[in-house]
This record gives sequence, structure tokens and C-alpha cells, in this order.
Amino acid sequence: MQNRSFTILCAALILGAACFSSQSVFAGSCCGGGGGSALVLPKFYQAMVDVSFDQEKYDGFWNQDGKYTPDPAGSDLRQYRLNTGYARRLSAKWQTSVLVPYVWNVNIYSSGSHRKDGVGDTMVNLWYEVLADTSAWKIRDLKDLTPSIIIGPSLVIPTGISPYDGVPSNEVTGRGFYRLDGNILISKTLHPWNASVAFSYGSYLERTVNREVDYVTPYRKQLGDRSSAAVSLSYLYYLGSGGDTLTGTASLSELREANATIDGRPIDNSGLQKDSIGGTIAYSSTDHDWGVRATWSHTAKQDGQGKNFPATDIYTIGVNYGFR
Amino acid sequence: MMDDLNPSGSNKQPVVLPGTTGYQVGQNAPDFTISDTFGNSVMLSSALTGTAIKGVVLYFTMWCPVCDTHMSHIRDSLMPQFAGVTYFAADYVSGSVAQARQSEMDNGYDGSGFVVLADTSNCVLGAYHATMGTTVVIDRTGVVLMNEDFKDGTRLRNILTNLP
Repeated sequence: MQNRSFTILCAALILGAACFSSQSVFAGSCCGGGGGSALVLPKFYQAMVDVSFDQEKYDGFWNQDGKYTPDPAGSDLRQYRLNTGYARRLSAKWQTSVLVPYVWNVNIYSSGSHRKDGVGDTMVNLWYEVLADTSAWKIRDLKDLTPSIIIGPSLVIPTGISPYDGVPSNEVTGRGFYRLDGNILISKTLHPWNASVAFSYGSYLERTVNREVDYVTPYRKQLGDRSSAAVSLSYLYYLGSGGDTLTGTASLSELREANATIDGRPIDNSGLQKDSIGGTIAYSSTDHDWGVRATWSHTAKQDGQGKNFPATDIYTIGVNYGFR
Repeated sequence: MMDDLNPSGSNKQPVVLPGTTGYQVGQNAPDFTISDTFGNSVMLSSALTGTAIKGVVLYFTMWCPVCDTHMSHIRDSLMPQFAGVTYFAADYVSGSVAQARQSEMDNGYDGSGFVVLADTSNCVLGAYHATMGTTVVIDRTGVVLMNEDFKDGTRLRNILTNLP
């Protein structure tokens, strides 16, 4: 019983991490990319390595009024990301993780193609387990409804190639700004189901800019505050009589970013919005040390599903290994 | 990357010699001849002639959400206020005049006041060392007054206000 509870908790946390991942991605041939994702270490593990590969396929965009607009005819815009993550337990309740993406931009237009690769923006997280879900099998009284709650800050470090590095927009792999987020992940399991909610709110640090493609008169710029939320529901299925498991997860994500500022002045209509749905299927080995997952994050290509942002489909395959 | 980890506020713009031709502010704008989306030949130097002409705004678009925000700002806020200025939008991602025309219509800029240029070989993009969102202002004497990202349009407005 305890082993199975542990399995569910692992699946929930890993899928929670996947959930963070799907909502944290921000990329675009026009708009920067290489966003990181969070990695949450399951209980009883001392460390974990997670490697995933994303393919993000662009298919039109929503303008500032939410009107869906197709990409130019003959275009095929994609970004590939190899994300390498490492999580380390610091104590029973504290853990940290780091994730570094490597980004390939492949933009094909009818006028020509452009390819560029480089490191994306790095994300460092610190997590604290506020509450543990201690009753994953049966609800006997109210306290059994207590979910697991994990909170913590994360810092995005602009290690990618940004629009302020003297490169054209199709070579961008990062946004060029530090960002500090506060995150909370709430998760409740009642075997074989799990429900998770994740919230994140972050602020970019203002910076000076003295270069775009060429050097320009210096100015100060700050991107708008960013908020995201995701809800997910998972079902865990045991494969055969062994301990191997398969977990299916459906999620809804929402991302918002407020208007940016230049020298303290808001830039009208520079904020963004993106709503997406996602599905994940994850396999975990009997000893739970190995996990493999595939995720699809989809945005509906229709009016009102976003604002000022590219419409994309993100396909992810990932593998993780935990060290006890 | 180092510029992002430790951003600099120093002005490192190079000193430009007046009278030279190039894309930088203070230089004579490189001339070009290119087709618009209706197949008409457009020459920069010709666009700058005429007694009522004050200058040219040249905006580079890849038909993206940021581009649309910039272009709609120009269309709705600046065009009505600054007559005597010709507004070009250089489409550098479409490979043919017909595709550029299609993108112009898909993005709602048919009859918008922009003359959309089909920069199919990226010759104008290269001549002005431009990328998405680059906004160039050229006065009637052919001198580059601005060549940088559109940002919030304030700098563009200030320059148009001061056009002689």
C-alpha cells in the first residue's frame, strides 16, 4: 500500500512538473524563446535528472484584439528545445532544481530559411514542501482531504540570445531579462486519481538596453508582470501484475503577461495572453526510478484563445531518473 | 549573452560621417527599387520627391503579433496626424509579390495607407541592417533620421513631429 501511494505521489509530482513545463514555455521566431520549466523532486528521492525534447510548431498568431491570423503562405516555423534539468534535495522539505534549454530555431519562409541554435534562458528553482498529502487512498475524515502544497521562488537567468544581443529576430533563443517568480503547486491524490493546480506570478527586472540589431540610444525596458495557472487531472493505471504504471493527464493552462514599459512608459498592447490544453502520458518503472513521458500542448487556432502571441503546438518527450 | 547578464547603459553608437551612404542615423539612405504588392515599381528616391513630401517611414514586418501591434499603431495614431509622409511596410518573409499581397490582406492591411513592399530577395532588409520591427525614418533630403526598433512609437512620433 505504501509503495503504491508513493507511486502515485511520484506520478503526481512529475506530472506537476510537466504541467509547469507546458505553461512556462514561451517561444517564438518573432518573440524570443527558450523558456525553462520547473522540476519537482518526488519524496524520498535525493536527486533527479530530467531530459526532455520539445518541438514547438508555430501556426499563426492572435493579434492584440484576439483575432487569429495565419502565418505567411509558404512558412514553416519551428523551435526545438533540448531541456536538461537537475533537481537536488537539500533537506526533508527543501529542494532546488535547475533547468537549461538548448534551442534550435528553424524558420522557413517562402523568401528563405533561417536556422540558429544556442543556449536558452536558464531557470533555477527553490521549493519548500508546506504540506504533504498523507492520505492518497481513502478519505476517512476532513484532514484526509489535505493536499500536498509546494511553494517556492524561481529565477529566470537570461543566458539565451536575446533581441538585445545584436542579432536579427529569427536568431533569438531567450528574452534578455531576469525574472523572479513565486510558484505554488497544490496536488491531491485519491487513488487512482490525482488533481493538481499550479499558479505562478513573476516580475521581470528592469534593464538598460543600448543595443538592438545595432547600438541605439540607451533606454530602460521592463517586460510586464507574468502570471500563469494550470489545472490538471490524472489517472494512474497499473500495467499487469507488476509495479509499472501508466499515467494519463489532461490539463488546462492560461498565461498572461502585462504590458511592457520603456523608460517607465507602458507600451500599449504589448501584453500577451495564451490559453492552451495539454495531454500527457507517462510511464514509470516498477522501482519508480525511471520515468518516460510524452506531452502535447495545444492552442486552438481560433479567435479569442490568445492575444498578441503565436499559436503553437508543443510536442514533448522526456525521460527522468531519480537517485534515492 | 553577456549584455543580458550584465546590461550596459553606455551609448556605443558609432560616429557617422555626414555625406556617406548607409543605414545609420545621419547617413544618406541607400536607394532601392522594389515592387509593391500590386506589382508597381517603387523607388525610394522617387518617393522622396514632390513638394508635399516630408519624408518616408519604412517599417519591416514579418507579419507577426508584434508587427501587427506596431503597424496598427502607425495606421491608427500616426498616419492621420502626419500627412506628407509615405508609409512603407517592407515584407521580407514572402517569396513573391502574390504571397506578400496575400499576407497584407490576411493581416488586415489592405487599403490601410501602408504601401507594402515585397522584399522577396531581402535586399532592402540587408541595406538597412533591419529585422522585425525595425523602423526607419528618412527625410526628404534622403538622410536617415531613425533606424531602430519601433518600441512604443514615441521616438517615431517625435521625429515625425520635427520633420521640416
